[in-house]
Amino acid sequence: MPLPPNRVDYSPIIDRPVIKWPNDARVALWIAPNVEHYEYEPEFDGQRDPWPRMPYPDVQQYAYRDYGNRVGFWRMAEVLDKHNIRCCVSLNMAVLEHFPEIGEAMVQRNWDFMSHGIYNTRYLNHYTEEQEREFYRDTIDTLKKHTGKQLKGMLGPAISGTERTPDLMAEAGLIYHTDWMHDDQPVPIRVNSGKLVSVPYSIELNDAPLFRQHYEGDYFAEICKAQFDQLYQEGAHSGRVMCIALHPYLIGQPHRARYLDDVLGYIMSHDGVWQTTADDIAEYYIANYYDEAVAHAAKLNG
Amino acid sequence: MPAERRFGMDHPHYDWSPLNKRGVLRWPDNARVALCVIVNLEHPEWDPPEDSFTTPFAGGLGARGFPDYARLSHREYGHRVGIFRVLDTLRKHGIPATVAMDAMTAENYPYLVQHCQEAGAEIIGHGVSLSQIISSNMTEDAEREYISHSVAALTRATGSAPAGWLGPEYGESNRTPRLLSEAGLRYVCDWVNDEQPYPLHSPHGEMFTLPIMWELDDISAMWERRVVVGRYQQLLEESFETLYEDGQQNGRVMALNLHPWLIGQPFRIGYLDRALGRMMRRGGVWAATGSQIVDWYRDNPPTA
Repeated sequence: MPLPPNRVDYSPIIDRPVIKWPNDARVALWIAPNVEHYEYEPEFDGQRDPWPRMPYPDVQQYAYRDYGNRVGFWRMAEVLDKHNIRCCVSLNMAVLEHFPEIGEAMVQRNWDFMSHGIYNTRYLNHYTEEQEREFYRDTIDTLKKHTGKQLKGMLGPAISGTERTPDLMAEAGLIYHTDWMHDDQPVPIRVNSGKLVSVPYSIELNDAPLFRQHYEGDYFAEICKAQFDQLYQEGAHSGRVMCIALHPYLIGQPHRARYLDDVLGYIMSHDGVWQTTADDIAEYYIANYYDEAVAHAAKLNG
Repeated sequence: MPAERRFGMDHPHYDWSPLNKRGVLRWPDNARVALCVIVNLEHPEWDPPEDSFTTPFAGGLGARGFPDYARLSHREYGHRVGIFRVLDTLRKHGIPATVAMDAMTAENYPYLVQHCQEAGAEIIGHGVSLSQIISSNMTEDAEREYISHSVAALTRATGSAPAGWLGPEYGESNRTPRLLSEAGLRYVCDWVNDEQPYPLHSPHGEMFTLPIMWELDDISAMWERRVVVGRYQQLLEESFETLYEDGQQNGRVMALNLHPWLIGQPFRIGYLDRALGRMMRRGGVWAATGSQIVDWYRDNPPTA
């Protein structure tokens, strides 16, 4: 099978229980800034080289990302504030320890947080079961300690994981996982205990893959608007999720922030947009649609 | 084997034939362009067999460590969401789909098989999976078995044997056309070298190519060459206009190869919709399945 066996039942989007978002919104829009720290001299795990360009440190690439925390984050936050956006941050937890001003700025704005691991230079792929359990304890405790918030979901650090990840996340009390790019609605993921759903994140409406290539801000704005138009149209029938993924070192560049402004101005001028967070989407879906979706998919797959 | 320096092709599959020296091909109702849209339903595997071969397949993120949820689930998007947008768009413009379906899809997605059939699509062979493509690494027996597995899976799922074939990643060995013909296939889309169908040499009954425009394949354009989606719409329209003009003298085929995980994303589908709309508004376009085009070509070969 293409996807991990027994995790997800096939369920075509045209043949599912209809989703109604709060206030009959057509699109649940969540904005996911990836607030990250990449280590200056990380430990190479033997599988994935965090700085493949040269022996550590790679000052050019390290500093490019560090710009995000020193400068880009603040410019990005101004644009988000202008449109009253409440973000769901994809957070490297160590940022809270290294750069408390960023933590305070996010807490002040009442943003939500999903885990993006501890550092973006520490990947899960080689973790043992016990290491991975400890990892969830650490991320939950660190977030609680610095923000008072209960952790609910994760985008794997640099989108890494293990075969056990969904089970161990659910065991630790998390309710959503955004590594799955398979849908425009939340989808139940089968786990040993508890309930876990995928909440659609985006690797296409995402400044990292876009701006590390030849695309620029105008194209980002064009495709974000086109994405919204299509989902808004479809969402009249059954609610859709739209995520825009950001990285402060990229979207916060002086020549780019204006395009985020442009996109948010366009989207937020529509009625029927539920501007929310992945936490809230997951909770709402689990409370209202999870059981129905599981039963429907089970029936479809005989 | 290195080429011998002599007239014609350096392989036995077809004859050298420059388009401007050919007879005239006429489509039904004197259409100038036969438009064929091939839609791929294919999958990389979670756990591919050890001896399988594939190209570094295009799609989503670059490869990450196992388990690569992001990359594999990005492809799965095509099966869960994208395919319906693509088929709706084709239906809107009266274009019958030609669906290239791999054996894994046929075996594991009965809903999609039925949906494609109800949409009036022709379903053609597309190998076993994206993680296992045909190449000269295979022995002849393994390749024969591979083709027969794919054909049998489609036959079981759809109730009839496929007439056409597109290898995953256009993969072939130097035996493939012969083995496809031996397995009962009548046309193959792997050869992206023409603007008309043409005959293949076949020991087992007639066999033709239906050439795809490789540069207009959504993966080639928007993933490998990173053409922006608005420009992709223009590429489609500009190609069509040239073929439409040239097709007045000698009929052309425009075969597009599309991937629902890519073109079926919400922000891309509108651009395809507009390009196809512009094509279909012109008179003299014959939107047809691969089989319809190849059958017509067989029954109405070019005349001097």
